[in-house]
Amino acid sequence: MTYGLRLAALIAVVALLGTATARAQVLPSEPVALAGGRITIGGDVSASIGADDAGFFNYTDYDHAALRVLTVDLTTSITPNPHIAVLGEIRDELALLSLPGDENRNTVRVYALYVRIRPWIDRAIDIQAGRVPPTFGSFARRVYANDNPLIGYPLAYQYLTSLRPDALPWNADELLRMRGRGWLSSYSIGNQEAEAGVPLVSAFRWDTGVQLHAASAIVDGTVAVTTGTVSNPRLTDDNSAPQVAARVSAHPIPGLVLGVSGARGPFVSSTAARGAVGDGHDRSFTQTAWGGDVEYSRGYYLLRAETIWSQWKIPALGAPVVDRPLTAMSTYVEGRYKLRPGLYVAGRFDHLGFSDVVGSDGPQTWDAPVTRVEVGAGYSLQRNLLLKFSCQRNTRDGGRVTNSTLAAAQLVYWF
Amino acid sequence: MLLTPRRTRRLRRLLLFVASVSFFVVFVTPRARVHGARSGAIRGRVDLRKVPAPVEPRPNVADLGAAVRALDISDRLRSVVYLESAPRGAFESVEPMRAVMDQRGERFVPHVLAITTGTTVDFPNSDHIYHNVFSLSKTKSFDLGRYAAGHSMPVRFDRPGIVRVFCDIHSHMNAFILVFGHPFFSMTDDEGRFRIDNVPPGTYNLIAWNEGVQSQPRAVTIPDGGIAEEDFVLR
Repeated sequence: MTYGLRLAALIAVVALLGTATARAQVLPSEPVALAGGRITIGGDVSASIGADDAGFFNYTDYDHAALRVLTVDLTTSITPNPHIAVLGEIRDELALLSLPGDENRNTVRVYALYVRIRPWIDRAIDIQAGRVPPTFGSFARRVYANDNPLIGYPLAYQYLTSLRPDALPWNADELLRMRGRGWLSSYSIGNQEAEAGVPLVSAFRWDTGVQLHAASAIVDGTVAVTTGTVSNPRLTDDNSAPQVAARVSAHPIPGLVLGVSGARGPFVSSTAARGAVGDGHDRSFTQTAWGGDVEYSRGYYLLRAETIWSQWKIPALGAPVVDRPLTAMSTYVEGRYKLRPGLYVAGRFDHLGFSDVVGSDGPQTWDAPVTRVEVGAGYSLQRNLLLKFSCQRNTRDGGRVTNSTLAAAQLVYWF
Repeated sequence: MLLTPRRTRRLRRLLLFVASVSFFVVFVTPRARVHGARSGAIRGRVDLRKVPAPVEPRPNVADLGAAVRALDISDRLRSVVYLESAPRGAFESVEPMRAVMDQRGERFVPHVLAITTGTTVDFPNSDHIYHNVFSLSKTKSFDLGRYAAGHSMPVRFDRPGIVRVFCDIHSHMNAFILVFGHPFFSMTDDEGRFRIDNVPPGTYNLIAWNEGVQSQPRAVTIPDGGIAEEDFVLR
């Protein structure tokens, strides 16, 4: 899409939402229901405009930064009878304010498409099959702009590490050369094209497989078997074994949710594993992740905290060898407080750290640790039209840009 | 009969009394009857050509499971019929009132509430989950925060107008509160019938409202002590 078209799209969105603001309640505020409610269609539109993120702190892939993107989501639910529902989501992301001549891959994709089966109407047991919602963690299921009190995302779910499932470093030095370059890393084994790395847990793609969910008044449990891993959800499998993920959450009192998650599955693609150690070993190079999360809300405040630990096993090849699994751990704490009807303030403290590997120059973290502090506010122009502002400070122990202060605004509309 | 001076004075007093009573009966009593005219009533029926559909929950694509809910549309059949403006002096003495809008089964019960200004509405939570009642309406904006089952929060409505009420957690929960500056309004029953009592005789504009749709004002004359009939068709 040309620069002119992108600019026109931005102006159209701002004009549309601005006009709607002036004439409150013009835009639909409820999902569109057809066929007596058997088909419902909802939508989310968010336009984020922020400072140039030269350090790639907020990129979700090489083309899209969370602070400069127009996202359009259309969700639908088709429920022919109480036992079966087909749910789907189409998402279009368009980079905003990129310079003329920049490549901008407009990505329209099927974000979710699955069938939900409820065998017994009066029992909260569901089987979901297809491109299913993330089992692991808590944030990935509320990545929508109207669920996120700020504009940026937690590092664990968004920040691109230098690891790639389709390419492997020959030795520790090659890995260390990519510190702080997860937005475009390249290695000599497997796919040698420069591509973006993966986050600890991807919030921007859903995995494909089968999911079983059961809930009681206090405890929910979910287990899923899928083709990819939490950091690399996939439509089709690229190695010889699936991932198994599980989550248990408890809500012992209203407002309190405690959750633990775990996932394990082969991470490295068959092609990359074959290039490194020959056939038949791709099951060995796994990603294992554990997570714990807590949410508490009462009155006008909401507090959330989540910790995710992830370990990737990659083959040890040339010297100096990567002789131990690569681990990363991320923790964030966020809060929101409502000041008055329609107005809130929010903040998040977030850190992502990495384990050491020993290169020719001695031990060093295999990727550059990152810390982010983000504060912001949101104001509801109408019930389903939200204007957000945020400012974030990023610091990184490595890479081309080691610190960055970014401000952004976001307009969110949903129905 | 001999008219003595004493009898003459008595007779004069008697005649004066009779004349006074006659004057009062002839001239004063009719005016008093106008001021104390017997109030009447308006009754009728609101027919809905199209039943307003309940608000469906947004497609819960990101949820790990689904909750099956039974949607109840009976509340949405209820309309409100009201006088556009009240008779002068009809709202001089107002007792503070209380009303209740419950949160039950992820619904506001009732879905429509009609109250007079000065009324305090209690919002109890009867569910075992949190709700967060709020409104951004110009008539009354408020946010009650999150509170658990068994707790209730009050809101006083001091200005007439329409207040849309939502839950910040469950987007399909919504309700209307119609706040009037006079007591001449009525909610329809299950069959759409309404009756507004104690309306002073006169001509007024009558309006019917349902789920955000309202009729054109319709002139209605209330006879002295009588009943005016008026039917509406909405949607």
